[in-house]
Amino acid sequence: MIVANQLATWSTRTSGLAVKEAGMSEPAITVRGLHKSFDKKEAVAGIDLEIAAGSLAGLVGPNGAGKTTSLSMMTGLLRPDAGRIVINGLDVWADPAAAKAVIGVVPAEARLFDRLSGEEVLEYSGRLRGLPAGEARSRAAQLLDVLDLTADAKRLVADYSTGMRKKAALGCALIHNPSVLFLDEPLEGVDPISADVIRRLLTRMVGTGSTVLFSSHVMELVEQVCDHVSVIDKGKIVATGTTDEVRAGKTLQQAFIDLVGPRSSDEEGLSWLGSSSS
Amino acid sequence: MAWLLVQLKLRLVRNALRSSTAARTSFVVSTTFAGLAAIGTFWVLAQLRLLSSSVDLTTVIFSLFAVGWLIAPIFAFGLDGTLDPATMALYPLRTRPLAVGLLAASATGAWPLANVLGLLGVTIGLARGAAGVLIALVAVVLQVLFCIALARFTITSMAGLLRSRRGRDLAVFLFIPVFAIFEVLGQVIPRAAAAGGLSPASFAGVDSWMRWLPPGLAAHAIQDASNGHLGDALGRLGLLAVVIVVLGSLWVRTLSRALVTADTSARSSRVHNAALPLGRFGPRGAVAARFLSYQRRDPASLAYWAITVVIMVICSLSTIIGPHQHPAVVIGSAVLGAAFVGAFHANPIGLTGPAFVVEATALSGRRELRSYFSGQNVVFTVIAIPLLTGVSFGLAALVGNLGEGIKAAAVGLAGLGAALAMSNIFSVVLAYPMQKRAGSPMPQQAQGYSGHAFGAIFGTLVCVAVAVIPVIVLGNVTTGISAAVRLPVLFGCAAAYGFGLAWLGVRAAAIAAEGRLPELCQVAMRTSL
Repeated sequence: MIVANQLATWSTRTSGLAVKEAGMSEPAITVRGLHKSFDKKEAVAGIDLEIAAGSLAGLVGPNGAGKTTSLSMMTGLLRPDAGRIVINGLDVWADPAAAKAVIGVVPAEARLFDRLSGEEVLEYSGRLRGLPAGEARSRAAQLLDVLDLTADAKRLVADYSTGMRKKAALGCALIHNPSVLFLDEPLEGVDPISADVIRRLLTRMVGTGSTVLFSSHVMELVEQVCDHVSVIDKGKIVATGTTDEVRAGKTLQQAFIDLVGPRSSDEEGLSWLGSSSS
Repeated sequence: MAWLLVQLKLRLVRNALRSSTAARTSFVVSTTFAGLAAIGTFWVLAQLRLLSSSVDLTTVIFSLFAVGWLIAPIFAFGLDGTLDPATMALYPLRTRPLAVGLLAASATGAWPLANVLGLLGVTIGLARGAAGVLIALVAVVLQVLFCIALARFTITSMAGLLRSRRGRDLAVFLFIPVFAIFEVLGQVIPRAAAAGGLSPASFAGVDSWMRWLPPGLAAHAIQDASNGHLGDALGRLGLLAVVIVVLGSLWVRTLSRALVTADTSARSSRVHNAALPLGRFGPRGAVAARFLSYQRRDPASLAYWAITVVIMVICSLSTIIGPHQHPAVVIGSAVLGAAFVGAFHANPIGLTGPAFVVEATALSGRRELRSYFSGQNVVFTVIAIPLLTGVSFGLAALVGNLGEGIKAAAVGLAGLGAALAMSNIFSVVLAYPMQKRAGSPMPQQAQGYSGHAFGAIFGTLVCVAVAVIPVIVLGNVTTGISAAVRLPVLFGCAAAYGFGLAWLGVRAAAIAAEGRLPELCQVAMRTSL
C-alpha cells in the first residue's frame, strides 16, 4: 500500500499540472488523416481520432484491422504516409523528441533486453529517460513491487514468461511518469490477479489527469474500464465516442460484431466432431 | 514405426524445399557438399595406402567423424523435428519401436549416406586381402552405427536443455571451437603442409591411446585383419559392438525418461549485482552499462570476441608453425582483429532486436544519439584494447620479435578507432534485421539482407585497412629511434588518431540516425532472435 501511494505521488506530481493546463476539453491525442500502406496493401486508410485528456480510451478491432500500425505511428515508431498526430500539443512527426518525452509505450510484442534482469531493464529505461540513477532504481523497485515482480527482479528477462515480460514492459513505460500512455494488447498473457493490478494502475493514472489509449481484443475489459472507445476495421475508424455511445444499449461485444460484421463460418463439415460421433 | 519416421524425415526435407528459394538453395548446397565430402573422404582414406602411419591417420579421421556426429545434431536441433523426443511425447508410442524408428530416421539423409560412402575409402587405404576388406566393411557399418547411437544418446540426454535458453546459449559457445577447428583445417594445416611444417609422419603414434576408443577399435580391426590377425580384429569389433549395444540401451532408457520428464527451460539465471553500473554518467553511462552487461551475458557477444581472437591467431599461426617466419604478419593480425571488432558490431540495432524500441522512444535528439553510439564505443574500447594488445604481443613473442608487437599494438589502437567509426556509421546507413536460423546458433542477417551484411563487414575491413596505413608508416620510420622516445610518440599518435576517427564516426552516425529512427525501429522489430 505504501508503495502504491508513492507511485500515486510521483504520478500526481507532474500529471496534475497537465490537467490544469490542458483542461478536460483539450484533447491529449489528436489524429488527422492518418494513412499507411505496405506495398500495395493499405493498412491504415485515413484515421481521424480525438482522445480527451484524462481519458482511458480503448481501440478495438479484429485481427489485421490496423490497430498496431496506428499505435506505432502515433508513438513515432512508424513513419506515416500521410496525416498528422498531436500529443499534448506536440506534433509527433514535427518534433518527435519532445513528443516522445511525454509518452510511454508498451508494444504488442513485449520484447525487452533479454540479458538484463527485471530490475536492470526498468532502471535502464528510467536512466535513458534522464532520471538520476538513484531515482530510476527507486522507481524500478516500487514498480516491480506493484507489478508483483519483486521475487523475480534479479532473474534475466530471457527467463520471464510472456505475462511477466508484459508487466516488465509496462514498468519500463511508466518509470518516467508519462502523461500519455499507449498500450498494445496490455493484458495478453497476464494472469487475472496481475491484470487486476494493471487495471487499477491505469485507472489511478487516469484519475491524476494522465491519458491512456490501449488496443485490445477483450471487449469485456474495454467495456469495464474505458470511458471512450474507438472501433477500427480495415484501417478505418467505424465508430468512436464514449463507451455508452458506441454500445448503443447493447453489450460492447454485440455492438462490435454489428459494426464489423460477423465472420462466416461453416461447421457443417465437422459432423464427426463430438463424443456422440465415432 | 521405423518406416513412418523415415517418411516423416523425408517429408520434413520436402516441405523445407517447398518453403522458399533460400531453403531450396540451402538443400542443394548441403547435398552437394555431402557428395563432395563423401568423395573427398573416400579419396583421402584411399591415399593412405602407401603411408606407414595409415592406421594412425584413419583413427584420427574416424574420431573426427564421431566428433562431427556428436556436435552437428546440437546445431541441427531445431532443424530436424525427429531429434526432439518432445515432438513424439504426445503420441501413444512404445519406447522400443520408437527408438528403432528414430534410429532409422537418423540414418536417412544425404549426410549419413555420404558418411558411409566416404569411410568405405578404408577398403582401399587400410585393408589388404579379402579378410581385410570384409572386416573393413563391417567396421565401417559399426563405426557409423556407433556415431548414430552416440549422437542420439547425447541429443536425447540434452533435449530438455537444448529446448531451453541455456541450451541455445551452449550451442553458441560450441560454435567457437567448431569455428576454430574449421579454420585450422581449412587455413592452417594446408598452408603449414605446403610450407613443409606438417607431414603425414607428424601423425605417427598419435593413436597410442585413441586406438582403444570406438573409432580406433574400428580402424585397428581393419589393420589386424589385413595383417592376418583375424582373431584380434574380431575381438576389437566385438568390443565395438558391445559399446554400441551399451550406448543403444542407455539411449532407450534416456528416451523413456525424456518422454515423461519436465522441460528444464523453467530453470533460470539470476544476476547478483544490485544495480546497473556507471550511474553518474547519464544516458551515455546507461547505454555503456547495458552494452557491458551484454558483453558478459550474451553468448553471441562473447562468441564474437572469441572469434576475433581466433581470426588473429589463425592469421599468424601458419607462419608461426611453418619454417619461414614473417614477423610482419603480427601487424596483419592486429589490423584484422581491430577490423573485426568493428565488423561484428556494425549492426547493433539489428542485434538488439525489438528491444531497441525502448531505446528509440528515449533517444530522439542528436545529443542523445551521440550518447548512444559513444556509450557502446566505450565498452568495446575497454574490452578491445587489452585484447588486441595482449594477442599482438603474444603472437610477437611466438614469432620471436617483440618489436613487431609494439608496432602491432599501436596499429591496433588506430585500427580500433577506425573500426568503431565505421561500425557506428554502418549501424545507421546499412542497418538490417537479424534472425536465428535453425541449424545455426549464431544470429545471421534476415533473408534478403546479405548485401547489407556484406557491405557493412567488407566496408569496415577495407576502411580499417586504409586508415591504419599512416600508423604503419610511422612505426617503420621510427624504428631506429630509442624506445623512450619512440613508444610515447607511436602510441600517443595512434591513440589520438584512433580517438579522432571514432569521434567523427559518432557525430556522423548521430546525424544520420536522427532522421532515420522510425526506419531503424522497423529494422529492429523485424529481427527475430
